[in-house]
Amino acid sequence: MKKTLLAATAMAMLGAPMAMAETIGVSIARFDDNFLTVMRNGMEDYAGGIDGVDLQVEDAVDDVAKQLDQINNFIASGVDAIIVNAVDTSATEAMSQAAASANVPLVYVNREPVNVDTLPDNQAFVASNEIESGTLAAFEACKMLRAAGHAGGAKGYMLMGQLSNQAAVQRSKDVEDVIGMDMCNFITLIDKQTAEWSRDKAQDLMTNWLSSGEEFQVVFANNDEMAIGAIQAMKASGVSMEDVVVVGVDATQDALVAMQAGDLDATVFQDAAGQGQGSVDAALSLARGEDVEQKVYIPFKLVTPANIDDFLSKN
Amino acid sequence: MSKTDHGVGGLTYDKSKKGWPNEVNIFAALILIILIFEALGQFLPYMNDQSFLFDTNGRFDTIFNEARLKIIILQVAIIGIISLGVTQVIISGGIDLSSGPLVGAAAMIVMSFAQTELVNGNPNPKAVFGDWAFDLPVIVPVIVGLCFGAFIGAINGSLIAFTRIPPFIATLGMFLICRGIAQWWTKGQPVSFPTESFAALGSGMMPVVWFALLAVLFHLVLRYTLYGKHTYAIGSNEDAARMSGINVKRHKVLVYMIASMLAAFAAIILSSKNLTAQTGMGQFYELFAIAMAVIGGVSLTGGRGSIIGTVLGAMVFGVIQSGFTYIKLDAFYQLMAMGAIIISAVVLDQWRQQRGSSRN
Repeated sequence: MKKTLLAATAMAMLGAPMAMAETIGVSIARFDDNFLTVMRNGMEDYAGGIDGVDLQVEDAVDDVAKQLDQINNFIASGVDAIIVNAVDTSATEAMSQAAASANVPLVYVNREPVNVDTLPDNQAFVASNEIESGTLAAFEACKMLRAAGHAGGAKGYMLMGQLSNQAAVQRSKDVEDVIGMDMCNFITLIDKQTAEWSRDKAQDLMTNWLSSGEEFQVVFANNDEMAIGAIQAMKASGVSMEDVVVVGVDATQDALVAMQAGDLDATVFQDAAGQGQGSVDAALSLARGEDVEQKVYIPFKLVTPANIDDFLSKN
Repeated sequence: MSKTDHGVGGLTYDKSKKGWPNEVNIFAALILIILIFEALGQFLPYMNDQSFLFDTNGRFDTIFNEARLKIIILQVAIIGIISLGVTQVIISGGIDLSSGPLVGAAAMIVMSFAQTELVNGNPNPKAVFGDWAFDLPVIVPVIVGLCFGAFIGAINGSLIAFTRIPPFIATLGMFLICRGIAQWWTKGQPVSFPTESFAALGSGMMPVVWFALLAVLFHLVLRYTLYGKHTYAIGSNEDAARMSGINVKRHKVLVYMIASMLAAFAAIILSSKNLTAQTGMGQFYELFAIAMAVIGGVSLTGGRGSIIGTVLGAMVFGVIQSGFTYIKLDAFYQLMAMGAIIISAVVLDQWRQQRGSSRN
C-alpha cells in the first residue's frame, strides 16, 4: 500500500512539468526589503496574469548558503526555470554551475552577478545599471548646490547601505566619483557611515552628526529610506530643509511624499516592477528554448519636483 | 577566626566583603567610557579639539553639548523600553528572544490602525484597510498594539509554564512566528503616513519620556510590590518559591505578558518616531535588549539584577554609539567594541560575585 502510494506520488511528480503549468522557482535576497518587495509583487502580479505559469517564491533572508540550498531544491523538484535575486553578488558562480549542470534556465534579477560576462547560454541577467543611479542623484545635488551659490565650497554627509551589498558600494563610489569631477569638486564629505538602509538608524546617525554642530549643505543617501530618516532628524533639530540638499535613490511612495513637501530634493526611479516582469519574461523564454538577450537593462530615471507627477503611481 | 563562627559553617560577617551596590560599578564604567572618548577627542589630530560632552563652540546655554546628551539617550530609549521587560523575564529565570520580531509585527499591525486618509491632499498611497480605518482616535492603535503584545506574551508564558519547554525554545519559536506575521500582514509592503496624534507619541524626545516613566514605574514595581518579590523569588529558586505558596505558573505567564506588552509599546513608539512600519523593524532588538540588561548586571541564571542597572546598561550602549560617530569611526568597530564590552561586563560581574561569596 505504502509502496504504491509512493510510486504514484513519484509518477505524479515526474509527470508534473509536462502535464501542468510551467513552474518558475524564485529566490529573493530579502523579503523585508521594500524595493525587493515591489519587484517581487511585480513578478507575482505579472505571472498571475499569464495562464499556466506558477511562481514559487522563497526568501533567502540574506543568507548565501540558504539561497544556494533553495536553488538546489528548485532543481530537485524539477522547476522549468529559476529566478535569483542574489544575496551576495560574488557568490553566484556556484548557482550558475548548479543550474547549468541540471540544464535548468537561470535568470539573475536586480543585482549583477560577478560572472555576468561568462554566463552559460541558458542564463541571463535583468536589472538596471547601478552606475547610473548614484551618479544621477549625486550630479543633480551638485547642480543644485551650484545653483544655490555654494560653488565656492560645500560640505556634506553620506549615508551608506549595508557594506556587503554591491549597490551600496557602487552608489557610494558614484557619489565619490561625482564629487571628484572638476565641476563638482567643491563638495567635500565631512563623514560617511552606514545606516544599513534603515530609516531609524539613519535618523539616529544624522542626529549624532548634527550634535557636532558642523555646518553642511548636502546629504547623499544610498536609498530613500535613509534620506527620509536624515530629513526627520534635521527637521527635529530645527534645520531648515531649504538650506540643505538631500538626495536619495528608489523613488518610493514615502520619498515622493517627502519631495512634495519640499524636503527631499532628488531621487532616482528604479523600475522595480519592470525588473520583476522582465525577469519572468526572460525565464519563460529560456524555458521554452527561445533566444534571449543575456543582459537586459531597464533604465533609471532622475526624479525631481519638476517631473514627480510621472512617478506618483509607480513604485 | 573568632568564636562566633561556631555552628554557621565558618560563615562570618566580614565588613570588607560587603561590596557597594553593583550599579555603582556600572556607573563607574560608564564614566570611564565617557572619559576615554573625551580623551580621544583631545588627542586625535582630526578632531580639532572638539569635546564629546561639553559645548566648545558656545552653541548652548549650558556647558554641555545638549544635542549630544539628547541623542545618547534617544537612540537607546526604544530598545531600553524592551529591555525593561527583558530584565523582568531574566530575573525570573527565563529569557525572551521574541521581543525583536514582536516589535516588527506589532509595528505593522499598529500602523495599519493609525493611518491618515489624506497625504499632502492626496489619498494615502499605503492604505491597508478601507475607509473605516482612517483617522481613528490615537487610543485605537495603542490598544490594538498592547492587546497584540499581551496575546503573544500570554502564549509565550503559557508554553513555558504549562508545557515546561525551555524559555529559549518557546520564545525562539515565537521569534519566527512573529517574523512571519510581520511579513504576512501586508505581504512585505511598508505601512506609512500616520495621523498627527499618533505621530506625536514618538516625536522629538518623547521616546525618552516614555522610557523614563516606564523605568521609574517598573523600578518601583520590582522593588516594592509582591509581583516584584515573587519575580526575584522564582528566579532565585523556583522550587522554594513554589513551596512557599507562590503560584509560579500564573506568575510566569504574567511576567512574559508584561515583557511582550512593553515590546509592543516600544513598537508603537518606534513606528510613531519613524512615521512608518516596516517588516524588518526590530531586527536584533531582542539581543540588544538582553545585552543592555546583562551589562547592567542582570544575571542570566536568574534572581539578580535591577531596573537601575538595566537603564545604566542602556546608557553604556548610547554613549558608545554616539562616541564612535563622534570620533568618526566606522560601524564595524562599533560592533566589535560592543561585543567586547558585553563579554567583559559578564566576566567582571562573575568575578565580583565569586569574590563576594568566597568563604575565606
